[in-house]
Amino acid sequence: MLSLQNIEKIYRTDTIETLALQNINLEVAKGEFLSIMGPSGCGKSTLLNIMGLLDAPTGGAVSFENEALTGFSDKKLSQFRNQKIGFIFQSYHLINDLPVLDNVELPLLYRNVSGSERRRLAQEALEKVGLSNRMKHYPSQLSGGQKQRVAIARAIVGRPHLILADEPTGNLDSAMGNEIMEILEQLNRDDQTTIVMVTHDENMAKRTHRLVRLFDGSLVSSNSFYNA
Amino acid sequence: MLSHILKLIWKKKKSNFLMMLEIFVSFLILFAVWSLSVYTYRNYANPTGLSVDRVWTVYLNFNTENDTLRQQYRELVSRHLKSVPEVEHYSFTSSNMPFGFSSSNGEFSYEGKAVLSEVMFVGDDYPAVMGMSFGPGRWFQPNDTIGGIVPIVITQCLATALFGNEEPVGKIIKEEESTKKVVGVAPYFRHKSSYQSVGNCAFQPLSKWDTDLLLKVSASATADFEARLARSIEQLGKDWTVEVQHMDDMRDTQDNTIEIPILILFVICAFLVFNVGLGMFGVLFQNISRRKGEIGLRRAIGATERQIQFYFIGETVVIAGFGLVLGVFFAVQLPLLRVFDVAAGVYLWGIALALVSVLLISVLCAFYPSMQAARIYPAEALHEE
Ligand SMILES: Nc1ncnc2c1ncn2[C@@H]1O[C@H](COP(=O)(O)OP(=O)(O)OP(=O)(O)O)[C@@H](O)[C@H]1O
Ligand SMILES: [Mg+2]
Repeated sequence: MLSLQNIEKIYRTDTIETLALQNINLEVAKGEFLSIMGPSGCGKSTLLNIMGLLDAPTGGAVSFENEALTGFSDKKLSQFRNQKIGFIFQSYHLINDLPVLDNVELPLLYRNVSGSERRRLAQEALEKVGLSNRMKHYPSQLSGGQKQRVAIARAIVGRPHLILADEPTGNLDSAMGNEIMEILEQLNRDDQTTIVMVTHDENMAKRTHRLVRLFDGSLVSSNSFYNA
Repeated sequence: MLSHILKLIWKKKKSNFLMMLEIFVSFLILFAVWSLSVYTYRNYANPTGLSVDRVWTVYLNFNTENDTLRQQYRELVSRHLKSVPEVEHYSFTSSNMPFGFSSSNGEFSYEGKAVLSEVMFVGDDYPAVMGMSFGPGRWFQPNDTIGGIVPIVITQCLATALFGNEEPVGKIIKEEESTKKVVGVAPYFRHKSSYQSVGNCAFQPLSKWDTDLLLKVSASATADFEARLARSIEQLGKDWTVEVQHMDDMRDTQDNTIEIPILILFVICAFLVFNVGLGMFGVLFQNISRRKGEIGLRRAIGATERQIQFYFIGETVVIAGFGLVLGVFFAVQLPLLRVFDVAAGVYLWGIALALVSVLLISVLCAFYPSMQAARIYPAEALHEE
């Protein structure tokens, strides 16, 4: 479903050049649950951003569902992100001035979906993460785990093929983290959503199908677990 | 999308309130300036009903208190002017001649209505001197005064004020000391400045103390001729003083007294609006840098650069819209309550032009910050929080 060939990413500022990724070759299969681990600063988020078409690699090629995405316009890439990809972040990135339901609806605002349909889909997504009773709340009235569940609902409301999660349990205690992990597992199992997750937690990683390790911008190992 | 923007604005109403207030105040200022401009322009666009081309004002002082002498002197000057070929027409006038600095008002009453009007005392050849256009009726003639009736010519404006739609020519206005009869109507006579509104003016035959003089001179009249003429009139009597002014200069002087304050108002207004624009610009920039995370998120979930830019412009326009709705509410009270005697159309133009200007300024001020917002690198923006 997602294929990275010879990906290289160099951050250039006026004075320094940082080689964040080099020589990355990675295939993510449809329906796979992949985890990425590695020490801080090794390039995990950078890799995820490239997978999510939020950032362009300085070298190499990305293809998504057998379509090479090099040289695509901003409009086309945005459309891709909107329809095919869902993002989950460590710091949730909810809009604090909007109630939960509106936060979840957000991706549908950038599609041609009627207001009532948006509402219905968002309610459905919130049901999936068990937050139907918090629709009118504001993010500041929720716990960390609940916020992340809202973020997951927002990520799945548009029925994406791929979910990219950057340390989704990083800010949560183990019980809450476990809850989030269960939701992700369920999405992967029941809806065949492909998931790529960055984590610092070995136990979380072990619950996925495959773990790749990143060190200093390069892939160093790949373990497969046969949890599936 | 609109309800989405409205929700966000409502949640941030405290910080948006200031911007709304600025827009509201700017609107009112622009409304006032535009209304004044439209009002002034509309007046200016009316026919003047007179021509100042080659018209000279001669301020004549015979230096006598004796009315009989004064009339004799007037005759003397008349005879002299008839012999000067460069003087095409002339007329004596009261001192409130067009574009001068004095004014003299009288009250006219007809069927219980009392109307105030400028009253000018002038000679028989006055319409030729002033190049006046003429409506129904005619100018007064020497034998009109027979029977103690004073013939008058009035502007259409005064005629309408007094007689409504009735035919004004032939109407008699009875007053305590005299009886006046309307013999003619001048459609326009805007004599105070180029920007004067269409107003009331009445003309009646000279009284015994009117000694100022208006001349229509030929195209060949030079400055040299002017000096010679002044001297030749002075020499007709003893201790006479003569001062000549060109009426186009007098008009320009009067116009300046209107143009300059408007110009100053424009500059002040431009300065204010510029400051408001700058303020909006700053607030937007601050807003956008505070909302980087949100922008990154919107980009991640599928907003294009263009959509981000339009989103922020849209937010500004909606906030401005609230200020404008409030502004329009207050602005329409002026025509509704008839606070000033100004046509409602002037206010409507003022409102429309102020609306367009404020929206234009808002969009212009929002354009650049919003473009910057659109250019924010989503990966970086998401990283920052
Ligand atoms: N915008 C940027 N400009 C310059 N260098 C950057 C930028 N973003 C990341 N880097 C550098 O690229 C490298 C990889 O960063 P990245 O955020 O991908 O690490 P990470 O593995 O996600 O770390 P963490 O576990 O702390 O989140 C780091 O050395 C970082 O300093
Ligand atoms: Mg990271």
